[in-house]
Amino acid sequence: MGLLTNILLAPFLGPVWGTKWTLEKVDRVVRDQLTDDTPVKEDLMALQMQLETGEIDDDEYVRREAEIMQRLREVREWREKFGMSTSGGPVRVAESGESE
Amino acid sequence: MTAAESASAETDPAFAEGKYVYCIIRNDRSREFGEIGIGSGARVYTVSHKDLAAVVSDTPIVIYDPTRENVLAHEFVNETVMREFTLIPMSFGTIFRSENDVKALLNSTYQAFTDVLDKMQGKIEFGLKILWDRDLVVAAIERDNDEIRRLKDEITRNAASSTYFARMQLGRLVEAAMEEASNRYVNHIHEQLKEVSVASRSSKVIGDRMILNAAFLVERKDEKAFDEKVKTISLQYEDLLTFKYTGPWPPYNFVNIKLKLEKAT
Repeated sequence: MGLLTNILLAPFLGPVWGTKWTLEKVDRVVRDQLTDDTPVKEDLMALQMQLETGEIDDDEYVRREAEIMQRLREVREWREKFGMSTSGGPVRVAESGESE
Repeated sequence: MTAAESASAETDPAFAEGKYVYCIIRNDRSREFGEIGIGSGARVYTVSHKDLAAVVSDTPIVIYDPTRENVLAHEFVNETVMREFTLIPMSFGTIFRSENDVKALLNSTYQAFTDVLDKMQGKIEFGLKILWDRDLVVAAIERDNDEIRRLKDEITRNAASSTYFARMQLGRLVEAAMEEASNRYVNHIHEQLKEVSVASRSSKVIGDRMILNAAFLVERKDEKAFDEKVKTISLQYEDLLTFKYTGPWPPYNFVNIKLKLEKAT
Protein backbone atom coordinates (compact mmCIF):
# COMPACT_ATOMS: atom_id res chain seq x y z
CA MET A 1 0.00 0.00 0.00
CA GLY A 2 1.33 3.39 -0.98
CA LEU A 3 1.24 6.67 0.82
CA LEU A 4 -1.82 7.72 -1.16
CA THR A 5 -3.82 4.73 -0.02
CA ASN A 6 -2.95 5.51 3.53
CA ILE A 7 -4.06 9.06 3.15
CA LEU A 8 -7.24 8.09 1.38
CA LEU A 9 -8.11 5.53 3.96
CA ALA A 10 -6.90 7.68 6.77
CA PRO A 11 -10.17 7.85 8.66
CA PHE A 12 -10.10 4.09 8.98
CA LEU A 13 -6.42 3.27 9.17
CA GLY A 14 -5.25 6.38 10.95
CA PRO A 15 -6.65 5.77 14.39
CA VAL A 16 -5.62 2.12 14.34
CA TRP A 17 -2.06 3.01 13.46
CA GLY A 18 -1.96 5.73 16.06
CA THR A 19 -3.21 3.51 18.79
CA LYS A 20 -0.79 0.75 17.96
CA TRP A 21 2.17 3.10 17.89
CA THR A 22 1.20 4.68 21.20
CA LEU A 23 0.62 1.34 22.86
CA GLU A 24 4.00 0.11 21.76
CA LYS A 25 5.63 3.22 23.12
CA VAL A 26 3.76 3.03 26.41
CA ASP A 27 4.58 -0.64 26.58
CA ARG A 28 8.25 0.12 26.11
CA VAL A 29 8.33 2.81 28.79
CA VAL A 30 6.38 0.73 31.30
CA ARG A 31 8.53 -2.26 30.59
CA ASP A 32 11.76 -0.30 31.08
CA GLN A 33 10.46 0.97 34.39
CA LEU A 34 9.30 -2.40 35.62
CA THR A 35 12.58 -4.12 34.79
CA ASP A 36 15.12 -1.53 35.94
CA ASP A 37 16.44 -2.16 39.45
CA THR A 38 18.88 0.78 39.42
CA PRO A 39 16.54 3.20 41.26
CA VAL A 40 15.72 0.52 43.82
CA LYS A 41 19.39 -0.13 44.49
CA GLU A 42 20.01 3.60 44.78
CA ASP A 43 17.22 3.81 47.34
CA LEU A 44 18.86 1.01 49.29
CA MET A 45 22.20 2.81 49.31
CA ALA A 46 20.54 6.07 50.33
CA LEU A 47 18.73 4.25 53.13
CA GLN A 48 21.99 2.86 54.42
CA MET A 49 23.49 6.32 54.33
CA GLN A 50 20.57 7.68 56.35
CA LEU A 51 21.16 5.02 58.99
CA GLU A 52 24.87 5.82 59.11
CA THR A 53 24.30 9.54 59.54
CA GLY A 54 21.69 8.91 62.21
CA GLU A 55 18.79 10.38 60.23
CA ILE A 56 16.78 7.21 60.83
CA ASP A 57 16.90 4.60 63.57
CA ASP A 58 17.29 0.86 63.28
CA ASP A 59 13.56 0.06 63.37
CA GLU A 60 12.90 2.50 60.55
CA TYR A 61 15.78 0.97 58.58
CA VAL A 62 14.45 -2.57 58.97
CA ARG A 63 10.96 -1.50 57.94
CA ARG A 64 12.10 0.36 54.83
CA GLU A 65 14.62 -2.32 53.90
CA ALA A 66 11.75 -4.84 53.78
CA GLU A 67 9.87 -2.57 51.34
CA ILE A 68 12.94 -2.23 49.14
CA MET A 69 13.52 -6.01 49.11
CA GLN A 70 9.91 -6.44 47.99
CA ARG A 71 10.48 -3.98 45.14
CA LEU A 72 13.66 -5.81 44.12
CA ARG A 73 11.77 -9.11 44.00
CA GLU A 74 9.07 -7.52 41.88
CA VAL A 75 11.64 -6.19 39.41
CA ARG A 76 13.24 -9.64 39.27
CA GLU A 77 9.88 -11.26 38.56
CA TRP A 78 9.16 -8.82 35.74
CA ARG A 79 12.61 -9.43 34.27
CA GLU A 80 11.93 -13.15 34.33
CA LYS A 81 8.55 -12.62 32.65
CA PHE A 82 10.20 -10.63 29.87
CA GLY A 83 12.96 -13.24 29.56
CA MET A 84 15.68 -10.85 30.71
CA SER A 85 18.74 -11.75 32.77
CA THR A 86 18.49 -11.58 36.56
CA SER A 87 21.13 -11.52 39.26
CA GLY A 88 21.28 -14.12 42.02
CA GLY A 89 20.25 -17.75 41.89
CA PRO A 90 22.22 -20.67 40.51
CA VAL A 91 24.66 -20.11 37.63
CA ARG A 92 27.23 -22.12 35.71
CA VAL A 93 29.94 -21.41 33.18
CA ALA A 94 28.27 -20.68 29.85
CA GLU A 95 28.57 -23.37 27.18
CA SER A 96 30.87 -21.28 25.04
CA GLY A 97 32.59 -20.32 28.28
CA GLU A 98 36.10 -19.37 27.28
CA SER A 99 37.86 -16.91 29.54
CA GLU A 100 38.53 -13.41 28.33
CA MET B 1 12.40 -19.54 41.62
CA THR B 2 9.63 -17.49 43.21
CA ALA B 3 9.85 -14.78 45.81
CA ALA B 4 8.18 -17.03 48.36
CA GLU B 5 10.85 -19.69 47.92
CA SER B 6 13.68 -17.20 48.07
CA ALA B 7 12.25 -15.69 51.24
CA SER B 8 12.56 -18.97 53.12
CA ALA B 9 16.29 -19.48 52.74
CA GLU B 10 16.51 -22.28 55.29
CA THR B 11 19.79 -24.01 55.94
CA ASP B 12 18.32 -27.48 56.11
CA PRO B 13 21.34 -29.64 55.17
CA ALA B 14 19.06 -31.89 53.13
CA PHE B 15 18.54 -29.03 50.69
CA ALA B 16 22.01 -27.54 51.01
CA GLU B 17 23.19 -28.83 47.68
CA GLY B 18 24.45 -25.58 46.16
CA LYS B 19 27.75 -23.76 46.63
CA TYR B 20 27.71 -20.07 47.50
CA VAL B 21 30.95 -18.51 46.22
CA TYR B 22 32.44 -15.56 48.15
CA CYS B 23 35.77 -15.01 46.45
CA ILE B 24 38.69 -16.51 44.54
CA ILE B 25 42.15 -16.85 46.10
CA ARG B 26 45.47 -18.43 45.25
CA ASN B 27 45.91 -21.50 47.45
CA ASP B 28 46.59 -25.12 46.54
CA ARG B 29 45.67 -26.76 49.84
CA SER B 30 42.19 -27.04 51.28
CA ARG B 31 41.36 -24.51 53.93
CA GLU B 32 38.61 -23.99 56.50
CA PHE B 33 37.48 -20.52 57.54
CA GLY B 34 34.98 -21.47 60.25
CA GLU B 35 31.19 -21.47 60.49
CA ILE B 36 30.65 -17.93 59.33
CA GLY B 37 28.82 -18.43 56.02
CA ILE B 38 25.64 -16.85 54.70
CA GLY B 39 22.43 -18.44 56.04
CA SER B 40 23.07 -18.71 59.81
CA GLY B 41 26.72 -19.68 59.92
CA ALA B 42 27.38 -22.30 57.28
CA ARG B 43 30.86 -23.87 57.17
CA VAL B 44 33.19 -21.91 54.89
CA TYR B 45 35.84 -23.89 53.01
CA THR B 46 37.73 -24.00 49.72
CA VAL B 47 37.16 -25.75 46.40
CA SER B 48 40.48 -25.98 44.56
CA HIS B 49 41.62 -26.23 40.98
CA LYS B 50 45.37 -26.20 40.37
CA ASP B 51 46.73 -23.32 42.48
CA LEU B 52 43.42 -21.42 42.58
CA ALA B 53 40.65 -21.88 45.11
CA ALA B 54 37.09 -20.65 45.45
CA VAL B 55 35.97 -19.86 48.99
CA VAL B 56 32.47 -21.36 49.34
CA SER B 57 29.80 -22.55 51.72
CA ASP B 58 26.94 -25.01 51.19
CA THR B 59 23.58 -23.42 50.53
CA PRO B 60 20.11 -24.32 49.36
CA ILE B 61 19.48 -23.17 45.78
CA VAL B 62 17.80 -19.86 46.57
CA ILE B 63 18.02 -16.21 45.63
CA TYR B 64 19.48 -14.25 48.53
CA ASP B 65 17.99 -10.80 49.03
CA PRO B 66 20.69 -8.17 49.56
CA THR B 67 19.47 -7.46 53.10
CA ARG B 68 21.90 -5.95 55.57
CA GLU B 69 22.16 -9.31 57.34
CA ASN B 70 23.01 -11.22 54.15
CA VAL B 71 25.37 -8.60 52.78
CA LEU B 72 27.22 -8.44 56.10
CA ALA B 73 27.58 -12.24 56.15
CA HIS B 74 29.04 -12.17 52.61
CA GLU B 75 31.32 -9.31 53.57
CA PHE B 76 32.44 -10.88 56.86
CA VAL B 77 33.68 -13.98 55.04
CA ASN B 78 35.68 -11.85 52.61
CA GLU B 79 37.15 -9.82 55.47
CA THR B 80 38.20 -13.01 57.22
CA VAL B 81 39.81 -14.47 54.10
CA MET B 82 41.48 -11.16 53.36
CA ARG B 83 43.53 -11.27 56.55
CA GLU B 84 45.63 -13.99 54.92
CA PHE B 85 45.00 -13.85 51.18
CA THR B 86 44.73 -11.51 48.26
CA LEU B 87 41.26 -12.16 46.91
CA ILE B 88 38.97 -11.49 43.96
CA PRO B 89 35.49 -10.84 45.35
CA MET B 90 32.48 -12.45 43.65
CA SER B 91 29.21 -10.56 43.27
CA PHE B 92 26.78 -10.97 46.11
CA GLY B 93 24.44 -13.93 45.70
CA THR B 94 26.47 -16.05 43.26
CA ILE B 95 25.54 -19.72 43.65
CA PHE B 96 26.69 -22.77 41.71
CA ARG B 97 24.85 -26.06 41.70
CA SER B 98 27.83 -28.28 42.49
CA GLU B 99 31.51 -28.43 43.34
CA ASN B 100 32.17 -29.44 39.74
CA ASP B 101 30.49 -26.29 38.45
CA VAL B 102 32.75 -24.24 40.72
CA LYS B 103 35.81 -26.07 39.38
CA ALA B 104 34.60 -25.41 35.84
CA LEU B 105 34.57 -21.68 36.67
CA LEU B 106 38.15 -21.82 38.02
CA ASN B 107 39.26 -23.79 34.99
CA SER B 108 37.60 -21.64 32.32
CA THR B 109 38.65 -18.34 33.92
CA TYR B 110 42.04 -19.54 35.17
CA GLN B 111 44.15 -17.06 33.22
CA ALA B 112 42.07 -13.98 34.00
CA PHE B 113 41.87 -14.84 37.70
CA THR B 114 45.64 -15.42 37.81
CA ASP B 115 46.39 -12.11 36.09
CA VAL B 116 44.12 -10.14 38.41
CA LEU B 117 45.46 -11.87 41.52
CA ASP B 118 48.98 -10.92 40.43
CA LYS B 119 47.91 -7.33 39.89
CA MET B 120 46.07 -7.11 43.21
CA GLN B 121 48.77 -8.87 45.21
CA GLY B 122 49.26 -7.04 48.50
CA LYS B 123 46.71 -4.32 47.75
CA ILE B 124 43.63 -3.33 49.68
CA GLU B 125 40.76 -0.92 49.16
CA PHE B 126 39.51 1.92 51.31
CA GLY B 127 36.22 3.74 50.92
CA LEU B 128 35.87 7.45 51.48
CA LYS B 129 32.56 9.26 51.45
CA ILE B 130 32.50 12.96 52.18
CA LEU B 131 29.39 14.82 53.23
CA TRP B 132 28.96 18.51 53.73
CA ASP B 133 26.58 20.62 55.69
CA ARG B 134 25.01 22.99 53.17
CA ASP B 135 24.27 25.69 55.74
CA LEU B 136 27.87 25.77 56.95
CA VAL B 137 29.20 25.88 53.41
CA VAL B 138 26.83 28.68 52.44
CA ALA B 139 27.90 30.64 55.53
CA ALA B 140 31.57 30.15 54.64
CA ILE B 141 30.90 31.28 51.07
CA GLU B 142 29.04 34.39 52.22
CA ARG B 143 31.95 35.19 54.46
CA ASP B 144 34.68 34.70 51.86
CA ASN B 145 33.09 35.82 48.61
CA ASP B 146 32.99 39.62 48.32
CA GLU B 147 30.50 39.80 45.50
CA ILE B 148 28.03 37.52 47.27
CA ARG B 149 28.45 39.30 50.57
CA ARG B 150 27.82 42.68 48.95
CA LEU B 151 24.74 41.49 47.11
CA LYS B 152 23.37 39.88 50.23
CA ASP B 153 23.93 42.99 52.35
CA GLU B 154 22.19 45.05 49.73
CA ILE B 155 19.18 42.76 49.65
CA THR B 156 18.97 42.73 53.45
CA ARG B 157 19.25 46.52 53.65
CA ASN B 158 16.60 47.17 51.05
CA ALA B 159 14.42 44.24 51.95
CA ALA B 160 11.27 45.90 50.71
CA SER B 161 12.59 47.25 47.43
CA SER B 162 15.10 44.56 46.53
CA THR B 163 14.12 43.03 43.31
CA TYR B 164 13.24 39.50 42.46
CA PHE B 165 16.12 39.71 40.01
CA ALA B 166 18.66 40.52 42.72
CA ARG B 167 17.51 37.52 44.74
CA MET B 168 17.70 35.26 41.71
CA GLN B 169 21.14 36.60 41.01
CA LEU B 170 22.24 35.87 44.57
CA GLY B 171 20.85 32.33 44.38
CA ARG B 172 22.72 31.67 41.14
CA LEU B 173 25.98 33.05 42.52
CA VAL B 174 25.72 30.97 45.67
CA GLU B 175 24.91 27.85 43.66
CA ALA B 176 27.94 28.39 41.41
CA ALA B 177 30.19 29.15 44.37
CA MET B 178 29.05 25.94 46.04
CA GLU B 179 29.85 23.86 43.01
CA GLU B 180 33.22 25.53 42.77
CA ALA B 181 33.84 24.85 46.48
CA SER B 182 32.84 21.21 46.14
CA ASN B 183 35.25 20.73 43.23
CA ARG B 184 38.00 22.53 45.09
CA TYR B 185 37.60 20.37 48.22
CA VAL B 186 37.41 17.14 46.23
CA ASN B 187 40.45 17.98 44.11
CA HIS B 188 42.46 19.06 47.11
CA ILE B 189 41.62 15.83 48.96
CA HIS B 190 42.32 13.65 45.91
CA GLU B 191 45.63 15.39 45.41
CA GLN B 192 46.78 14.61 48.94
CA LEU B 193 45.65 10.98 48.83
CA LYS B 194 47.33 10.36 45.49
CA GLU B 195 50.71 10.20 47.20
CA VAL B 196 49.69 7.26 49.37
CA SER B 197 47.47 5.26 47.01
CA VAL B 198 47.89 3.29 43.78
CA ALA B 199 44.61 4.24 42.15
CA SER B 200 41.22 5.74 42.91
CA ARG B 201 37.74 5.43 41.51
CA SER B 202 34.78 7.73 42.08
CA SER B 203 31.19 6.54 42.12
CA LYS B 204 27.92 8.42 41.93
CA VAL B 205 27.21 10.35 45.11
CA ILE B 206 24.32 9.19 47.29
CA GLY B 207 21.83 11.78 48.52
CA ASP B 208 22.22 15.56 48.35
CA ARG B 209 24.75 16.00 51.17
CA MET B 210 27.50 13.88 49.62
CA ILE B 211 30.24 15.49 47.54
CA LEU B 212 32.59 12.52 47.20
CA ASN B 213 32.02 8.77 47.01
CA ALA B 214 35.37 7.24 46.20
CA ALA B 215 37.40 4.07 46.57
CA PHE B 216 41.18 4.02 46.89
CA LEU B 217 43.50 1.14 46.10
CA VAL B 218 46.36 1.07 48.58
CA GLU B 219 49.47 -1.06 49.05
CA ARG B 220 49.20 -3.00 52.30
CA LYS B 221 52.52 -1.54 53.40
CA ASP B 222 51.11 1.96 52.92
CA GLU B 223 47.99 1.29 54.95
CA LYS B 224 49.23 3.27 57.91
CA ALA B 225 50.39 6.20 55.80
CA PHE B 226 47.01 6.32 54.04
CA ASP B 227 45.26 6.19 57.39
CA GLU B 228 47.30 9.08 58.74
CA LYS B 229 46.69 11.11 55.62
CA VAL B 230 42.92 10.71 55.84
CA LYS B 231 43.06 11.79 59.49
CA THR B 232 45.15 14.86 58.64
CA ILE B 233 42.79 15.87 55.84
CA SER B 234 39.70 15.37 57.96
CA LEU B 235 41.21 17.73 60.54
CA GLN B 236 41.81 20.36 57.85
CA TYR B 237 38.12 20.28 56.99
CA GLU B 238 36.83 19.54 60.46
CA ASP B 239 34.35 22.40 60.53
CA LEU B 240 32.89 21.92 57.07
CA LEU B 241 32.93 18.28 56.06
CA THR B 242 32.04 14.90 57.51
CA PHE B 243 34.31 12.02 56.52
CA LYS B 244 32.99 8.44 56.30
CA TYR B 245 36.07 6.34 56.06
CA THR B 246 35.80 2.53 55.72
CA GLY B 247 38.04 -0.44 55.09
CA PRO B 248 40.21 -2.24 54.45
CA TRP B 249 38.00 -3.90 51.84
CA PRO B 250 38.74 -6.42 49.13
CA PRO B 251 39.37 -4.52 45.87
CA TYR B 252 35.67 -4.40 44.91
CA ASN B 253 36.03 -1.32 42.77
CA PHE B 254 39.23 -2.29 41.00
CA VAL B 255 38.47 -5.80 39.78
CA ASN B 256 36.35 -6.11 36.73
CA ILE B 257 36.28 -9.59 35.25
CA LYS B 258 33.25 -10.29 33.11
CA LEU B 259 32.38 -13.88 33.93
CA LYS B 260 30.58 -15.79 31.21
CA LEU B 261 27.91 -17.37 33.33
CA GLU B 262 24.44 -18.56 32.50
CA LYS B 263 21.43 -19.53 34.56
CA ALA B 264 21.59 -23.10 35.82
CA THR B 265 17.93 -23.90 36.30
